[in-house]
Amino acid sequence: MTLNKQIELSVLHNLAAAETAPEERWADIRKESRSALSQTAFPHRKIEEWRFTDLRPITRTEFVPLENAGAFPVSGAETYFIPESEGSRLVFVNGRYQEELSSTGPLGKGVIFGNLAEYEDNPVVQEYLNKLLNYEEDVFSLYNGALLNDGAFIHLEKNAKAEAPIQVLHLYTDSAKPFVATPRLLVVAEEESDLTIVEDHVGLGNNVYMTLPVSEVKVKEGAHIHHVRLQRDSEEAVHVSRPIAYVEKNSEYHAYTITLGARLSRNEPRVVQEDEEVDFTLDGLVLIDGNQIADTHSVMDHRFAHGQSHQLHKVVVNGNAHSIFNGKIFVRKDAQKIDSFQENRNLLLSYEGLVNTKPQLEIFADDVLCSHGATIGQLDPEEVFYLQSRGMTEEKAKEVLTYAFALETIENVKIESVHKLLIEEVNRYTRANSIQKETV
Amino acid sequence: MSETKALETMIGEEYKYGFSTDIEYEEFPLGINEDVVRLISEKKNEPEWMTEFRLNAYRAWTEMEEPDWFNATYEKPNFETLQFYSAPKHRPKLDSLDEVDPKIRETYEKLGIPLEEQKMLAGVAVDAVFDSVSVFTSFKEKLAEAGVIFCSISEAIQEYPELIKKYMGSVVPVRDNFYAALNSAVFSDGSFCYVPKDTICPMELSTYFRINNMNSGQFERTLIIAEENSHVSYLEGCTAPMYDEHQLHAAVVELVALDNAEIKYSTIQNWYSGDEDGKGGIYNFVTKRGACRGKNSKISWTQLETGSAVTLKYPSVILQGDNSIGEFYSVAVTNKKQQADTGTKMIHIGKNTKSTIISKGISAGNSNNSYRGLVKFNRKAENARNFSQCDSMLIGQTCGAHTFPYIESANPTGKIEHEATTSRVGEDQIFYLQQRGISEDDAISLIVNGFCKDVLKELPMEFAVEANKLLGIKLEGSVG
Amino acid sequence: MLELKDVYAEVEGEGIEILKGVSLTINKGEIHAIMGPNGSGKSTLAKVVSGHPEYEVTQGDILFNGESILELDPDERAHAGIFLAFQYPVEVPGVTNTTLLRESYNTIAASRGREELDPLEFDDYIREKLDLVEMNPDFLERSVNTGFSGGEKKRNEIFQMAVLQPSLALLDETDSGLDIDALRVVSEGINKLHTSEDAVILITHYQRLLNYIVPDFVHVMRDGRIVKTGGKELALELEEKGYDWLDSQTTVNGEVK
Repeated sequence: MTLNKQIELSVLHNLAAAETAPEERWADIRKESRSALSQTAFPHRKIEEWRFTDLRPITRTEFVPLENAGAFPVSGAETYFIPESEGSRLVFVNGRYQEELSSTGPLGKGVIFGNLAEYEDNPVVQEYLNKLLNYEEDVFSLYNGALLNDGAFIHLEKNAKAEAPIQVLHLYTDSAKPFVATPRLLVVAEEESDLTIVEDHVGLGNNVYMTLPVSEVKVKEGAHIHHVRLQRDSEEAVHVSRPIAYVEKNSEYHAYTITLGARLSRNEPRVVQEDEEVDFTLDGLVLIDGNQIADTHSVMDHRFAHGQSHQLHKVVVNGNAHSIFNGKIFVRKDAQKIDSFQENRNLLLSYEGLVNTKPQLEIFADDVLCSHGATIGQLDPEEVFYLQSRGMTEEKAKEVLTYAFALETIENVKIESVHKLLIEEVNRYTRANSIQKETV
Repeated sequence: MSETKALETMIGEEYKYGFSTDIEYEEFPLGINEDVVRLISEKKNEPEWMTEFRLNAYRAWTEMEEPDWFNATYEKPNFETLQFYSAPKHRPKLDSLDEVDPKIRETYEKLGIPLEEQKMLAGVAVDAVFDSVSVFTSFKEKLAEAGVIFCSISEAIQEYPELIKKYMGSVVPVRDNFYAALNSAVFSDGSFCYVPKDTICPMELSTYFRINNMNSGQFERTLIIAEENSHVSYLEGCTAPMYDEHQLHAAVVELVALDNAEIKYSTIQNWYSGDEDGKGGIYNFVTKRGACRGKNSKISWTQLETGSAVTLKYPSVILQGDNSIGEFYSVAVTNKKQQADTGTKMIHIGKNTKSTIISKGISAGNSNNSYRGLVKFNRKAENARNFSQCDSMLIGQTCGAHTFPYIESANPTGKIEHEATTSRVGEDQIFYLQQRGISEDDAISLIVNGFCKDVLKELPMEFAVEANKLLGIKLEGSVG
Repeated sequence: MLELKDVYAEVEGEGIEILKGVSLTINKGEIHAIMGPNGSGKSTLAKVVSGHPEYEVTQGDILFNGESILELDPDERAHAGIFLAFQYPVEVPGVTNTTLLRESYNTIAASRGREELDPLEFDDYIREKLDLVEMNPDFLERSVNTGFSGGEKKRNEIFQMAVLQPSLALLDETDSGLDIDALRVVSEGINKLHTSEDAVILITHYQRLLNYIVPDFVHVMRDGRIVKTGGKELALELEEKGYDWLDSQTTVNGEVK
């Protein structure tokens, strides 16, 4: 039996393929996704985009619907609330909205946000939901559509400025059986609006679950969005995310993705330039260890002239962990005067670890400035020696340098508590890893 | 501009001046099957083990699928109607250079090819002082004195069967890929070079090639072995535009370097690239690979790829020996509707192995130019190092430049650095040079040559000059 | 030698008019300084004379040695003897200074019927010229302007001028970005090169350069026109009173030219 057959017969595919009653919420989207799913094969390693990614954590697990999973109740959710978003917090547990944990107080004129399900009839939701998705031959976004339920909805009217960041917090609890969550985020920022989002995925226990978050972001003319995405899933979890943003004239979209958790994560951020004079960022930090697999496949798609984009993707790999990066920069025909920069730096700390990287440029316009760089290596022995000569132990020196390496990517995260939190996370990672002695 | 015209006309037109009219083929069935493979082997009077080698490869090939992962689209060759064997062609001899198409002569002049060589390239009967046989003879004597074996692969199969058995297919196994398998089954001819222990090959193995080995056919096979402490430099190809009635070229080149040996392999490829609409033109699907088997060995590939309609080519080095070095220097120019997907693979296995990749891609017209490379550090490749620089230059707004570098490391002591940039010939640069009195075409040529400098300096001296000129000719009139 | 007749010029394709009727006559042996605030059109003037493709002359004519050069390509103008020392010299990676200069020298020589120099002769020739701007011979083998400091680039321009021996040199803000020592060296170089057979146009924002190179005429540009012409003392007056002083001047005189 081929792998694909196995998958098709798996609970996962059945789960998504199960008919739902037409009166149910999002019936159209579910139906559409189901029908597309029947035409879409599950990925495997002979497909170029998946050749380095071991999908066994998905294919070897029997996932069940949340209702049948015997999920534990949530506790200690408030530990993960950030103070800046006291009045602007949307909390989901295992993908389901929690009104009592959320806080949707006023956030300034023209800022609307809440559970997507409550805004089903909102014209903005009607216009954009599921319409911005653009992933070719992708079962994961289709699963999300077929199982669409709750989600976060943020709408900024023209000139609206969110007074505080909106925290979209996803908590995942332990459960008797592995379940699937399919959270959705829809952000529509109208002209000249301004918003900061902190999206946080936290595994409260350490069991197996799969989350397939999809976010659709529309940044209209002159709007600014600062989007922090923090992934702290359980060490046995699967996290497959599909965040896509469309940027219009004079707009800015800056995304920072920090990957710490999950047994297997596959993150596919995409930014599509829809008009001239845009500026966007797709930075990432990946700190992995043990048997973790972290895979980032990004696309920066310049379709119009005068765009500026920046991507710094930093990775630290220890233990048996495996990092995969494929960063595509497209500059379409006539998209002149593009200034695009991509840098992928990898620290490989162990003999059992593995790093694959493929920075990819595809350029069809001649008046552009595009460059990428990729490095894989260890800490610079000269730097280690320098710190040792200043009295640090070798372990300490390595810890300090790893910390410094990782820190650069989170400097631009502007929310104070999140910045602090990230520094703690980096610290925790580097400490844990400095205890491990050299293998050779 | 008239030179461009001349070149275009020349490579675009049917050859009126005798090349294509009188070519004689021996009767040979079309298509391929085991009988055809046997027949090829028989025609070449090969020993049984060689026939088996071919059959083995053929059987492997029938089970393989034609690849389609590269960044190029073209009409797949029809293997049913392909002629897989053609006896050496008998070119008609012309009496003097005056009979050669003046446009061809103009290009030779522009490239600065010496008169006597021009005659040979054009198929003019040459005088006794400088005929190919005498050059070849003196050449062979000199090599024999040094103990270097240099002959056709067919001859080597007869004369040095032990070496062929030991090394052929050892770097590029018959099952390696679709076109390598096909080549292994039907290869026509090619070169064999063996440099014994402690020997520096006394000359560049190039002049001979340029003159005498123009017709090794579409399935060329090359094998070069450098024994301990030896050194050899080899150049294939020619700056002069090459026309061939075979559309598909699928060569295999294998290099083996033992302890402290060094092989430098340079290529200038200027096959017919098709017309403005992309019609015709050569498919250049080559498998080139070197194995640094010995400690401190070194293999260096340098290529200047300007011709062919479609080029799929990844000269690679397997760095097995500790402290071995692999290098890849490449300039790939595409214009009109050419498609090139080329790069290298550096597989690091031994300790302290080093590789350097310098790739310069220039796209103009409606062409697409891709760099595709792999740098891989195996778990045991302690202290391995790689540096890659892949730059693209675009000329005009209807071409594409692509970079696909695959990088993998499984060893924490290794260090890989990869950089890539995209730039163009700037209008400000052209104006600056024009203000200093240099014409627009010359300005472009200067800028492009500057861009490619790090690669061109790796070419043997006498070819570097021609290469410079070739780049200019290839890109004339492509700006503005 | 050079005559501008009521020249109007705009940015090609964009219709933005930059020169709005410039007339100017420059004779053999003269040094002219063109001064003016930023955006007055003085750099454009230099580019238009040397044939920059970004600008289009919409009206008027430019004569060089009595013949219109409007239809000539930049390289043909260079062959005729026009040299522009760029305000921002362009980097050409991979092309050495020697390569550029030999190519330039020989094409210009060929077009003017002078004898071309072979690489050895040429090497001797340019080494002589190096001393003029006190440049290290290492510069010859470096890529044109690539990785040069601002001052080195400017020196390199004057060095090229020395090698190519133009009959008309347009020096666009050659003094900007030079420290006082470099300014002295560059100015001395220019003075040494200047003879009764050629002419120099200095385009500058400041009077400083004119302490070293004494102009025969000073022209002041403003909004695409020459609004005042005088002797070297005009530069000093400008230095003292600033460009705003001109506003009152021109208004008072009621004439723009």
